[in-house]
Amino acid sequence: MKASNGRRGFALLWPGLSLVLVVLVVGAALLSRRVALAAPAQPIAFPHRLHANAGVPCLFCHPNAMRSPIAGLPSVQRCMGCHAYVERGNPEVKKIAQYWEEEKPIPWARVILEPDFVYFSHQPHLSAGLNCETCHGDVASMGTYQPVARMDMGWCLDCHLEQPQEDAARLTDCLTCHR
Amino acid sequence: MTPRLTRRDFIKVGAGTAVATGLGSAARKILLEPFVRPPEDVLPGQATWYASTCRQCAAGCGIIVRVINGRAKKIEGNPLHPLNRGKLCARGQAGLQVLYNPDRLRNAVRQTGGRGSRTFEPLYWDAALDLLTEKIGALSDPGRLAFLGGLMPDHLYRLASLFCDGLGAPPPVIFDLHSALEGRATADRLSKAFFGSDELPVYDLAHTEVVLSFGANFLETWMSPVAQSRNYGRLRQGPFGGRGLLVQIEPRLSATAASADEWIPVRPGTEAHVALALGRIIVEERLGHVGSHRSYAVLYQDVEVGDMAQASDVSVETLRRLARVFADADHAVAIPGGYLAGHRNGLAGMLAVQALNVLAAQVGREGGVFLSHPAPASALAQTARVDTFDRVGDLIARMRAGEVDVLMVHGANPIFELPAAAGFAEAVSHVPFVVSFNSFVDETAIQADLLLPDHSYLESWGYQVPAPGADRPVVSAQQPVVRPLYDTRATADVLLALASRLGGPAAAALPWVDEVAFLESSLGELVSSSLSAFPADTAGDFWAVWRRSGGWWSEKEIPREPEVTSVVETPLRVVEPTSEGDSGSYPFLLYPYPSVSLSDGRGANLPWLQETPDPMTTVSWGTWVELHPETARSLGVVDDDVVRVVSPFGSLEAPVVVYPGIRPDVVAIPIGQGHVDYGRFAERRGGNPLALVAPVTDPDSGAWAWAATRVRLEATGRRKALARLESLEGAGRESLR
Repeated sequence: MKASNGRRGFALLWPGLSLVLVVLVVGAALLSRRVALAAPAQPIAFPHRLHANAGVPCLFCHPNAMRSPIAGLPSVQRCMGCHAYVERGNPEVKKIAQYWEEEKPIPWARVILEPDFVYFSHQPHLSAGLNCETCHGDVASMGTYQPVARMDMGWCLDCHLEQPQEDAARLTDCLTCHR
Repeated sequence: MTPRLTRRDFIKVGAGTAVATGLGSAARKILLEPFVRPPEDVLPGQATWYASTCRQCAAGCGIIVRVINGRAKKIEGNPLHPLNRGKLCARGQAGLQVLYNPDRLRNAVRQTGGRGSRTFEPLYWDAALDLLTEKIGALSDPGRLAFLGGLMPDHLYRLASLFCDGLGAPPPVIFDLHSALEGRATADRLSKAFFGSDELPVYDLAHTEVVLSFGANFLETWMSPVAQSRNYGRLRQGPFGGRGLLVQIEPRLSATAASADEWIPVRPGTEAHVALALGRIIVEERLGHVGSHRSYAVLYQDVEVGDMAQASDVSVETLRRLARVFADADHAVAIPGGYLAGHRNGLAGMLAVQALNVLAAQVGREGGVFLSHPAPASALAQTARVDTFDRVGDLIARMRAGEVDVLMVHGANPIFELPAAAGFAEAVSHVPFVVSFNSFVDETAIQADLLLPDHSYLESWGYQVPAPGADRPVVSAQQPVVRPLYDTRATADVLLALASRLGGPAAAALPWVDEVAFLESSLGELVSSSLSAFPADTAGDFWAVWRRSGGWWSEKEIPREPEVTSVVETPLRVVEPTSEGDSGSYPFLLYPYPSVSLSDGRGANLPWLQETPDPMTTVSWGTWVELHPETARSLGVVDDDVVRVVSPFGSLEAPVVVYPGIRPDVVAIPIGQGHVDYGRFAERRGGNPLALVAPVTDPDSGAWAWAATRVRLEATGRRKALARLESLEGAGRESLR
């Protein structure tokens, strides 16, 4: 009796496992789509809206976009340059002050991540006259950054293909981004 | 029966789990941590290259370091630097692991539980300086302060000399094993004897046809190996139409000998006998095209070729052939190497080799031997001169007699580097207060009461006048390529702060506010020099150009012909080698040789160097004993059998490497391993052959005769496999047969 129970349990194992697997795969695929457009939690609820409306240009805090592949995040020193005087009582600003006092970097969560096999540089895009908003959306209305596009290859090509004929050939070459 | 998972089912379940886990990574969180305070000149994602000077050995090669986001990432040779011209050796490349080493001392500490207790209590720098000031101030006599330096950069040596001088203490004693192994102190004496100059000569490998190297492993660790390797390459490109000829005369086939056209396994300590015989043959048979040799005949009046051949185990025919080749070449050079200096007839031997260059009229000639031109600044002439073993012995005797109250150690590790029988470890226990400036807690630093770690060299300022130099005057610049990672402090700044706290003559001798002010004043004379490859109008310009190009050097080659002193008017002496230990009980001569990667052991805490295979045996991460196949057979041992090597002074156990490139009466062991302290990668690995070596000197020079100790071998019956890159004649691949 015991043995036959065991055998029946064994017979049900495969349909059960397969079902779990399908659920997992489909679930994970759906999740990854959502994740790509979901913003991770940030250590400080940084309001882009307030800063942009106060007239702070993007390049004040992301200073390297014009001259480097990476736009860069502000150093804690840059934050404290203003917040040593401005809004010192704000609880979120107090968090920054604490990082500053402890001489620790702020552990921001990365929102946009291109894979290693993609070569991307901010510099030529800005040199070509693009605005930050073209790719990053209306950041001036956001709190912490919320991605607006999936930034995959199709999305890049959408724009590169729209360029004038003489540029499009070069801009759609594989080696432009995969090098 | 319980259900069993078959292999097939296991794979299915496994694959499913893997898919689910793999997709999980889509939800991972990646942190972006911006600087708290951004370093200067940092552009995220873009490299900045800083020029500086390598400090992994005394050569002083120029380096450039790639820095991204304030982190040093890669070290390369400085292509502009006249010494190494963009090349760099493995030890230089591994400098990053000095900077990022997890075992670095990160702040000033006191050893509160007593010496060797490893109980460290952190100290604020101010408190540390107060403590040291108090100890020095309380000295009854400034002569009771001693400063022991190892591989010090020249600017720090000058500062330490001024500091000791200002206090009225004896000048710093400089000793490091690497210099002892390359015979630097004896080479200094040789230069003085032959050319009346303190400077080490340059042997012009690049423009010569025939090189006779007497125990100079110039492609590995001797003197300036990168510059010499580059010049060796030029020799092989055939400046005069051929490939050049390199003959290596030494008892063990080094990597340099392996690159030579001919290896002559001479009896150890009789290398100079070969040189003497060659000289005698050249004079007697009037070889070469110099004209008359009459004026030099006196040099060889005591030399009998047959005796020399018999003593050195080199046949008369070989000697005649070499003499003819050397004398007939238009450009030929004989190099007195470091192995000669390791014998008790070291200086006499090196004199005999240098005499060959005089005899063949190669002094001051292209492809011969010349002196490099000094830089036009008087401050730069005060460079670190390596002291002989005798002077270290004096210091040990003073310590033992209780005549030293404060000992300051920078960059030296005598407890590891000196033969155990020299008794440094015992003597240091008689010193009431010991300060170490070493970056790592090594065997000597563990005996210190106060540890004040210096920056690593990639975080430091400084300059170095390369010795031997290049074909033109050179001063190498050292500058920080990154901000100091930890709360360490430049020893130069510590000395300046001490002087200012002590006041009086010490403060007057060291008036500078910090290390950079001291450098600017030392280098001031170079600003107006018309020789400069990078002219600058003002001191500010000079400072910018100095840092940008990695130093100062002349635009053009300035060869300098040495003037030979009257040394060539007296007969050369034939000094038979002697060794410690009687040949009955100790039938073999021990040859402890510097490891190409670990050098004298200072590289042992860098994993990159530990795993670099030895070029001759392909062994990494260990100590081994090289035996001639005949010797191994008579002892009944094979590869990887552990043997005990016993000398009158100690013993060591290590696995055997059967090595055909060694004389049957010589046993060779690489130096570098066997650290007790010095960080996780160095400790408790292999053995230190210096524990076997006798603390004897060459009476002529006072240098340590590190290659003059006899040993015997005992099989232990145990085996221990060495990590080798290459298998032993297919061993381990028997299944393929």
